[in-house]
Amino acid sequence: MTATVLVIIHGLIAVAVLGAITHQTLATWTPVRAKRGSFFSRFRSVPPASFANAFIVLYLVAALLGAIVYLDFRVDVRPQLERDGHFEALGLFDLKEHFSSIGLGLIPAYWVAWRRPLAEDLRGWRAGLTVIFAFIVWWSYLIGHVLNNILGFG
Amino acid sequence: MASRKFAFTFGTAFAICYAIAVGRQLALFTVFPSLGLVLPGTVQSRDVADPALGFLAPAMYWYGWIATATLGAFAAGMISLTVPEAWTRRVWQGWLWAIPVAAMAACVKFTLPWFRL
Repeated sequence: MTATVLVIIHGLIAVAVLGAITHQTLATWTPVRAKRGSFFSRFRSVPPASFANAFIVLYLVAALLGAIVYLDFRVDVRPQLERDGHFEALGLFDLKEHFSSIGLGLIPAYWVAWRRPLAEDLRGWRAGLTVIFAFIVWWSYLIGHVLNNILGFG
Repeated sequence: MASRKFAFTFGTAFAICYAIAVGRQLALFTVFPSLGLVLPGTVQSRDVADPALGFLAPAMYWYGWIATATLGAFAAGMISLTVPEAWTRRVWQGWLWAIPVAAMAACVKFTLPWFRL
């Protein structure tokens, strides 16, 4: 029961992480000056630096919750998936754990890159790290959903 | 500038150390969640339980890999603080994203056996 609650909280925080990094990535890679226009223009016209601290906190909390829930996954869920032959799903989940771990190591660099006032010479850091985090977060979110739903509800 | 050097080195070294830890099975410790055990180093299930009952004592290395990578990255970060500024200016900034991407690709390679089962 506790694990189920933690997984739900983990998933809700993941939604917030996903929103923050998607906004930031689009604003970093395709910035617009205009405040009005299409939905896409408004989506990417946010100041990207404003998401950095929230992203760091949310990413760390999501990783911590994931690390706690992982214990239950290993004992109760993974054996069932192995028995049912869901080996591709387990491989994809292993990649989620590897990618999110590498992301953890990049958090200090991300924090330095987005620290205000923004350093002009770190523009490359910011763009590169943000897109890496976007990939990690999207991958983790989608694969987390696949694993969560693979055995059905109940 | 010191925080930049440390963060840059920590991030790249973490990615390298993590990929090595996964590839070479270098976990600082192993967790056996069903037994409530944490043992130093990389320990196989068959070493703590009868091989026939190994499935009852699944081993988790992920926490140990992260600990190994953190330790290595922290050491590299501290060493980087002693490197003169003139040297670090010559380092290509792109390594900060290129090395983690390479480490992620290495992790994909290590995970391929799952897809051949």
